[in-house]
Amino acid sequence: MQDLPKTAVQIRTLNKWYGAFHVLKNIDLHVQRGSRVVVCGPSGSGKSTLIRCINGLEAYQDGAILLGGTMLGSQAKATALARRQTGMVFQGFNLFPHLTVLSNCTLALRRVLGKSRKEAEDLALHHLRKVKIPEQAHKYPAQLSGGQQQRVAIARAMCLSPRVMLFDEPTSALDPEMIKEVLDVMIGLAQDGMTMLCVTHEMGFAREVADQVVFMDEGRIIEQASPKAFFGGAVHPRARMFLETILH
Amino acid sequence: MSLLDIWLGILQGLGTTAKVTGYGLIFAVPFALIFGVAQYLTTGVTRFFITAVIEFWRSSAVIILLFVFYYALPIVGVTLSAMTVSAMVLGLNAGGYASQAVRAGLQALERGQKEAGMALGLSRPAILVLIELPQALVAMSPTFINQIMQLVKATALVSLVTLTDMTFRAKEIAQTEYKPVMIYTSLLLAFFVVCYPIALLGRWVEARVKPGRGSPHGV
Repeated sequence: MQDLPKTAVQIRTLNKWYGAFHVLKNIDLHVQRGSRVVVCGPSGSGKSTLIRCINGLEAYQDGAILLGGTMLGSQAKATALARRQTGMVFQGFNLFPHLTVLSNCTLALRRVLGKSRKEAEDLALHHLRKVKIPEQAHKYPAQLSGGQQQRVAIARAMCLSPRVMLFDEPTSALDPEMIKEVLDVMIGLAQDGMTMLCVTHEMGFAREVADQVVFMDEGRIIEQASPKAFFGGAVHPRARMFLETILH
Repeated sequence: MSLLDIWLGILQGLGTTAKVTGYGLIFAVPFALIFGVAQYLTTGVTRFFITAVIEFWRSSAVIILLFVFYYALPIVGVTLSAMTVSAMVLGLNAGGYASQAVRAGLQALERGQKEAGMALGLSRPAILVLIELPQALVAMSPTFINQIMQLVKATALVSLVTLTDMTFRAKEIAQTEYKPVMIYTSLLLAFFVVCYPIALLGRWVEARVKPGRGSPHGV
């Protein structure tokens, strides 16, 4: 088997505009294979936009994104490749309400990877067991709690064996008592060595799991440090202010 | 002529009414799907032309279209049978309306549905067919049932292009029997008898498709 490159995601001087609004400014970010990066910052700082650029849900105007050493362009082929290598978990779960939990997980296995029904279902059940929800396989998303739905969404993304998992505020839409079950699943993924890029406000999760915390404000990365350094004494005043608000 | 005779007389036109409705659906369903989806997916000039076609069928008076296609086209050498003209005009008119329901149903879906499909690596056509259309069509099914009922009732116009439907039969009987109240009340009932089962069918379909529906945020 070919050796995987050491860098899972490499972002070089990325710039993006929404019309005249400069939403991402000269972003440089390296995510090592097997590492966990937490991106935080005030709302509107561009953190969601940043991770949505990585799998081509957002287009960017300038700079480069490399996934496992392969340059992503705007071409459909490159975007398809990026989506094969990344799994994404959304704030709003975005499960398909007309399909059962199992079908949500098998859809892409069958239609994108061309696996047989049996093969796809076995794989889906394996990942549903990992998120501790195999008994719900034949229910519809609307019959599950928010926490359960988000765990299904994680299983659905994991089914395609992504090299990088992208999380876009995965617990922000959840009731407080459901946040833990989702974070536990994410911690489990981290322990399995998954490369993860998480936009989240869960600072406890960042402290426990992250190798690197990235703080964004107004489209820039203004602080990038280990959790220990970041929580111990963020350098930038904006980051300190953010931490004070969020930790109290 | 007894009430029963009047009823039986009117029902002699049922076959034609059913035929116009059935053939009409053959025009309406593909038109609604193709043009509704096309209007949803396209932008700019393409969308303008697609919208123009929809608006032609949706915004013209059915009775005038019937006359134009049946009586005026032969002047330029195009002769279509009364059944073809009726099915096409009524069908495409209903299809024009239904295309807007298809488009609205697709537009009403959360953006996250499409994005989740994209993130999973599904192609655009696959997202449309596997994710968007099944949800949109289910959500719009009450509107489609409405459209079918409208189509059945619109067939009352085809007697104007020589077809012997229920309305035409009623008019014939009215001319010989001179009992307009009884005859037209019977015709009214005849349409109700045809349309009401469609409404019931609609409710049954809605109830059946419900379990899979609901908000993805349904907590």
